[in-house]
Order: sequence, then structure tokens, then C-alpha cells
Amino acid sequence: MKLFAKSPFKPLIKHSEVVFETVETLEKALNAWYNGNYGEMRDLAVEVDRLEDIADRIKEEIRDSLSSKLMMAVSREDVLIYLHMQDKVADSAEDTAKWLLVGKPDGVPKEIKDVILRMGTESIKAAKLLHEAIVQMDRVIESGFAEREINREYELIRAIEDVEKVIDELDTQLMRLVFENAERFDWGTGTYILNVARTLSNISDKAKDAAERIRLMMNK
Amino acid sequence: MDVWLVATIILGFWMAWNIGANDVANSMGTAVGAKAITPRQAAVIAGLMNFTGAYFFGKSVTETIRKGILHQNMISNPWIIVYGSLAALLAASIWLIFATYNGLPVSTTHSIIGGIVGYGLVYAGTGIVDWGKLAQVVLSWILSPIFGAIVAFFVFKAVRLSILTRSDPVKSARRWAPFWIGLAFVVIGTMFYIKVLHGKNLFYGVLVCGVPTGIAIFGISYLLIRLHFKPSDPYIGVESIFRKVQVVTSAYVALAHGSNDVANAVGPVAAAYAVITMGLSGIKVPVPKWILAMGGLGIAVGIFMYGYRVMETVGKKITELTNTRGFSIDFSAATVILVASWLGMPISTTHTVVGAVVGVGLARGIKAINTSILKDIIISWFVTVPVAAAISAVIFKAILFLAG
Repeated sequence: MKLFAKSPFKPLIKHSEVVFETVETLEKALNAWYNGNYGEMRDLAVEVDRLEDIADRIKEEIRDSLSSKLMMAVSREDVLIYLHMQDKVADSAEDTAKWLLVGKPDGVPKEIKDVILRMGTESIKAAKLLHEAIVQMDRVIESGFAEREINREYELIRAIEDVEKVIDELDTQLMRLVFENAERFDWGTGTYILNVARTLSNISDKAKDAAERIRLMMNK
Repeated sequence: MDVWLVATIILGFWMAWNIGANDVANSMGTAVGAKAITPRQAAVIAGLMNFTGAYFFGKSVTETIRKGILHQNMISNPWIIVYGSLAALLAASIWLIFATYNGLPVSTTHSIIGGIVGYGLVYAGTGIVDWGKLAQVVLSWILSPIFGAIVAFFVFKAVRLSILTRSDPVKSARRWAPFWIGLAFVVIGTMFYIKVLHGKNLFYGVLVCGVPTGIAIFGISYLLIRLHFKPSDPYIGVESIFRKVQVVTSAYVALAHGSNDVANAVGPVAAAYAVITMGLSGIKVPVPKWILAMGGLGIAVGIFMYGYRVMETVGKKITELTNTRGFSIDFSAATVILVASWLGMPISTTHTVVGAVVGVGLARGIKAINTSILKDIIISWFVTVPVAAAISAVIFKAILFLAG
């Protein structure tokens, strides 16, 4: 029966898997950066760029296939905005990768590196949770919007939102450290540090926006 | 044997063949799409159950002119009914072939009604058509999908409340799945009482035949429904239980389909048979068992020869329809069709199934429904009667010319 259209969730989860891989690769690149393995870091950062391209392509495909002539269990608008936000997560990871590629990591003081690594790990944790959240959303529909599955989904969304607070604190800490140590590095390194940190915190920020959309999907 | 009688029987068989070819994918599509049964199994189940439904539950008496759509007293020469039946059968078959080819689920009932209106108009102009009766049929375009949608909406909601949202969905499914199967058999049992035992009292039938059958089947299916694995995910467990349930409900749909739709093929044959053998016809004519058997056989042959292929394409497509949803659609459609045909309401199998799909969709049960396809389907419903009428009119003129 042609009446049944393909569910948008399978491709959405596929896109999410690529985004997951993107942030995971960035995490590895960040670890390599922290440990001073810059060669490895470069390779991984290039890989992040490649993965982000793939995510982009899947996004386009989903967008084209989601005709306005579908009657869905969730609103089409929510699905499209969610997709956009999920893609932004990979975009932010690519931004960080770009800074890692062009910047000079040598002059960054150890204590600042520590904070950046923690920021990165936390932020990427939020992005990984987002993958769980969209898989869970598929289950919510499968269960016919059962209370139990909705609650589990809310827990995931809350966990993603909680990351935001941790990131906020780390962000303040980092800014303080940058100004306290301003005389130890040149302006280029300063810009580099602040931008790596900003793009990293963007990842969780976009993950939070996407999670917000899942909340709306359930409330339709 | 009279050459006209032979022609009518052949065309009646061909019409039945088309009902099998065109309709079976609509009624069995959900079970095949949800991977509850393979296309081959679907063909066997549909063939057997359609024949059973047609032979045992098919109308043993039919109006001479289907649904009394024409004023019969205006037909002075009874042979017009023979020629008209031929034209109507041929026109309906042609339209069904076209619709099947384009994947449009149209109503076989409306095709044959269109065919009859077509020859009526050629014979005696607009005055012969009972427009009130026709309006009733048109109303069924609207009522069938609405009933299908409403019942399916609540059946899915009930499945959701009783099983999916429970703390242990698998355990609830073990208890509730046999209940639904039992309920289907309450309807089938009552049907058996009325159609086969020729009982008159509906209430009595439900009490004596329906409920005991339902309870017995409930018990049997409760014992039979076991999971042979420990599901890691409760919904996988629930779906695999409903996969088994769907085997039963798809048979239920096929039974309802056979009993409801066989009249579209055998009605005109029975009318022509009455005229040719007895020379006259009343408002109602008996349908000999052999004609019902021929209709059932025609449907079964249509399923095996063509419907099977349609179902194979359905089976290959990745419809992400799950078994609980497929069940809700099947159960609701079959129940609406059987209950409505007891009440003597004109109902279309196809329209009811499509309505049921939308009903489950409205209950947020289906992830995506193609509304552009839905639009095409609804348009095809509106053109069925006029197009079948036009084809029939042309054929009727040709037959009159041939018969001199």
C-alpha cells in the first residue's frame, strides 16, 4: 500500500549516527591535542571535516524527502527544525576542528589546556546523549506515547540541559584564566584559546536546542 | 445452454477474478506489509477465507438489480436485465483492471453500481435511476471510511492503554491479544449462526454462538501465544505476539471481504440466470450455491494469478508498519464490514480499510501517511461510479446492437 510513507525517524537516526561519529572523532582529536600528538590531531580534525560533509548530505536528503504531504505522528516542522539543530552539532564540531588545524597549540598553558579538555569532554557528552534522545523518541512513538517512555526521554533531555550548567562554569573559569595569564602568551594564542573554547561549548548549546525540539515533538 | 447465460457466467467469473486481483492487496496488504505473513501465505489465507466467506456467508438472496439502484418496474423486457448485467460486469471489470494497474484501491461495489446505472440511463434515461438509493450508496463513500477511521482510532487507543503503556507490555499482550482474537470470533460465530444456521435473532446468536466461540478461541489462543525467546525490548516482544495475532485478523479481513464483495460478481449473474431459466424476475432472486461457489472460486483464482504479485511488491517495500498497528487496522476494518453488512448498510471494504489506516494515523500510531496518495485514492472513489457508468453505457449499446 502506497498509503504508508517511510518513517522520517530511521533517516533521522542515521543522520544522528554520523553526527555522533563526528563529535567522537573531535573528542579523539582533542585528546591528541591535549597530549601534544599534533600529527594525529591533524588527521583526526580532517576526518571531522569529512564526516560533517556526510552529515550535511544526509540532512539534504531527509529535507527533500519530507514532503509537506505527510501525515505524521509528530509535526513536520518539529522534525525539520530538529534536523537542522542536530546538524548544527556537527557544524560546531567542524568549527572546533578548523581552529585546531589553523591555530598554534604550543603556547597554551597547561592549566588552560586542562579546562578546555574538560569543556570539550562535557560538551561532547551532551552531543552523544542527543543520539540516545532521538533513538528514544522513536521508541516513544513505537510505544504509542507511553508515559514510561516519555519520562525516560525527559530524563535524557534534562541530562543534556544539565551539561549546559557545567559548561557555563568552565567557561567563566577559562575566561578568568586567560586574563590572569595574558602576559604568558601572544594575542594569537589568546584568540585561539577563546575560539576553541567557544566552538566547543557551542556543541552542547546546539545539542540543547535540538533536545528542546524533542520536547515539543512529544507535546504535539 | 443459452449462449447469453454462458457469457454472463464467464463475465461474472472474470469480475470475481478482478475482485480477487484488485482487492486482496487492500485487505491483506497490512499483514504482508507488517511482515506477519509472506505473500505466499497471504494468497493461501486470502484464497481459502475469501472462498469460505463467499460460499457460506455470501448473500443467498440478492436484489435483481444490485442495491435496487434502478426502478425495475420500468424494465418491460426482462432480457434487458441480462444484457445490462453483462454490460455492467464488463464495465466494472475494465475499470477495476485500470485501477489495479494504477495502484488505486477502488470499491468493487461502486464499480458494479456504476455499471448498472450506465445501462439504466441508456435504456430509459434518468427517470429509471432510483436517485435516493444512489445517494445512499454515495453516502457509503463517506460513511465507510469514517466508520473505519473511528473504530480503528479507538481500537488502537485501546491497544495502547491495555498493552503498550503498561509497566510490563509483554505480559499485558499475553493477556489481551487472546481477548482481541476472541472478540473477532464472537463476530464470526454470530455470523455463522445467522448465515449458515439461518438464525433470526441477533441477540440470541451472539449469546449462543458468538460468545461461546469467542471464549473457546480465547482459551486456545491464550495457550498458544507463547514467546519462544526472552525479548530484550518489551516492544519487540509485543510486536512478535501481535505478529501471530495478525495471521488470524488477516484471515478475518479476507472472510469479511469474501462475504461482502462476492455479491458484486454473482449478483448480476444470479439475476441473469433467473431471467434466462425462469423467464421473469421479481425484486429479489435466489442465488444458487453453485453461483456463490463460482464467485468464491473466481476471487481465489484472481488472488493466486494476480493479487499474489501485488502482495509481493507490498512485501518487498519497506513499510515500517508494525504489527500492533496492522492489527488495529485489520481488526477494525473486518468488524466494521461484517457488522455493517448485518445491518444492511452499504459498505465498501476498500474504503473501510483506507479509513482505518487514517484512524490509526490520527491516534498518532503511524509514523507517516502519504496524504498525496490519500488524495488520489479519494478522487478515484469519486470517479468510480461515473466512469463505470460511461463504460457500461457504451457496452450496453453495443450489446443491444448485437442482439438486434
